Amino acid sequence: MSAIKSVFSDSKSAFIPYISLGDPNYDLCVDWADALIRGGADILELGIPFSDPVADGPVIQKAFKRALANPFSMDTILGTTEKIHSLHPHIPLVYLTYFNPIFHYGFEKFAEKAKIAGIQGMIIPDLPYDTPETDELFKSLKRRGVDLIHLVTPATPLNRMKGIRDFASGFIYYVTSYGVTGERKSISADLEDRIKTTKEVFSLPVSAGFGISAPDQAKEISQYADGIIIGSAVQRIIEENGSNPSLCRKKLEEYAQSISGSLRGKNR
Amino acid sequence: MAKERSFTEKEGYFGDFGGRYSPEILTEALIELEDTYNKLRKDKKFQKDLEFYRRNYIGRPSPLTYAEKLTKAWGGAKIWLKREDLNHTGAHKINNTIGQALIAKAMGKRRIIAETGAGQHGVATATVGALFEFETAIFMGEEDLRRQKLNAIRMQMLGAKVIGVSSGTATLKDATSEAMRDWALNVSNTHYIVGSVIGPHPFPTIVRDFQKVVGDESKKQFKKENDKLPDAVVACVGGGSNAMGMYYAFLNDKKVKLYGVEAGGRGPSPGEHSATMLFGKTGFLHGTKTLVIQDDGGQVVPAHSVSAGLDYPGVGPEHAHLHSSGRVKYETVSDQGALDAFMEVCRVEGIIPALETAHAFRFAKDLAKELGKKKDILICLSGRGDKDVAEVARLVGLSQGDLI
Repeated sequence: MSAIKSVFSDSKSAFIPYISLGDPNYDLCVDWADALIRGGADILELGIPFSDPVADGPVIQKAFKRALANPFSMDTILGTTEKIHSLHPHIPLVYLTYFNPIFHYGFEKFAEKAKIAGIQGMIIPDLPYDTPETDELFKSLKRRGVDLIHLVTPATPLNRMKGIRDFASGFIYYVTSYGVTGERKSISADLEDRIKTTKEVFSLPVSAGFGISAPDQAKEISQYADGIIIGSAVQRIIEENGSNPSLCRKKLEEYAQSISGSLRGKNR
Repeated sequence: MAKERSFTEKEGYFGDFGGRYSPEILTEALIELEDTYNKLRKDKKFQKDLEFYRRNYIGRPSPLTYAEKLTKAWGGAKIWLKREDLNHTGAHKINNTIGQALIAKAMGKRRIIAETGAGQHGVATATVGALFEFETAIFMGEEDLRRQKLNAIRMQMLGAKVIGVSSGTATLKDATSEAMRDWALNVSNTHYIVGSVIGPHPFPTIVRDFQKVVGDESKKQFKKENDKLPDAVVACVGGGSNAMGMYYAFLNDKKVKLYGVEAGGRGPSPGEHSATMLFGKTGFLHGTKTLVIQDDGGQVVPAHSVSAGLDYPGVGPEHAHLHSSGRVKYETVSDQGALDAFMEVCRVEGIIPALETAHAFRFAKDLAKELGKKKDILICLSGRGDKDVAEVARLVGLSQGDLI
């Protein structure tokens, strides 16, 4: 069983927050990661900033812009990841990134260094399973026991899910709504059924993301999802408080506690 | 376990370039578009409708003009112009939007969206929005809105909602990203009319197919007039739709030299040009694998051109392939060179060309001398320059008083 898969259990739902590495700089984002993990994160998603994030809404776009105001290099990303990993080695770290920076760095080199830095899974929203590069990257990651986590959306039909199945491991990132990342008030009515179908097809844990921000939303979805992914709401806390690091840390930890505590099997 | 792939590894690729690298939420819409288009392209009624609108609405075939005055002024090869500037709405862009609007209708979509740089694609999309009664939204960078105010007003008059994009460099690249985001949200009722031979499969193929009328007509017209083919064909390249449409008919005619002209901008430093073929490296942008101007970390570098329509850090994947195979030679012309050619073509030939096309003219001027008087150069005059007059006047220092 992969380290990621072992986080999930039938009795509780996992909390998976997200931060953009480098926002507002590469030192402070280590603090944010620490705060979120102390607040109850079970897995942490680390965004590698990209200049043209087409699957992201305004909050993460702005975070990437702030991050890219610092000099960007994949080696800085990997070094920062290593720092986070050394603080909490038992917490699985997952990269969420667009494909171009990885392609540019080289699959083998990237997979090797990411594994050493503590990465246990990859999510790449602009790399569909049915491309030649997926085969190659998948092999590089698989050799090192790093999971390739795929997105499934309300627009993904059953035959496509079956195609994705050959390349998916760790967990499935179920996109709860149409559009891009960002906080939303309402969640689609058939979400429970869709997640149930996704679980049946993949025999993998299914975590729900896109649009979730409030503890009551997280609580409701955690009744049937194996994990809850929250990106924009976390990133908004950093956007609003990043210039005051101690306050920002506190708010992130409190927010993580409020979400984590609300999830199925985690009531405190 | 059997792999159920929606397309083979080579379908949708041009050599090593192309493919479908888009967010999963859009994939089904792209497959639906591909399936619909594959049916329609063989459908007689669809082809008949397309032909009807080409003839009776766009005004095709567009003329082939022998540019006698430019030929004389440049003192070399004969210059021929394919007059896409004489199409309804003033550019080649309408060839594609009419076609894609008919596809959107066939798919039962009620809303269309588009990205635009110079505004010609936005105007062409707003036009078909009005003609076929679609709800229409156009994404345009704030910087381009400033440079191309006239076109933004035209779009609004045609009933489209113009949405200014302030993210990133506030130009075409960011307008494209924003249009993709809108499509992801509204994919069930919306068709995204991509404006160039860019984006995920099947867009580069669809746009090329709707633009190849430019080359098909040119070839026929040139042969009729001269009983031979041109020696060289020149077109400007941003994303590359007018160029791809022009080249396609000539790709197998190996004696015809094909040239693409990119924006050399202010110089070779990063951020100062849009010369993707010269400075780009293989990468992934806006759903396709192509050449991309990027830095050492794989971040896309902002492009620059005096012409909003060429201001794009990528290029159509088929162009990337034609570049790597050597079939098309890609060159650059600077902002200043384009402005000089713009003014020269206005005064010598009595035609105000789009600033995009002015790059092609500037390159053709040197090529004409190089080839000599016995040769013929065909230039794709991709659009008219009404949209550019205010910006050019500002840049060349013409005051309103001078103009009167």
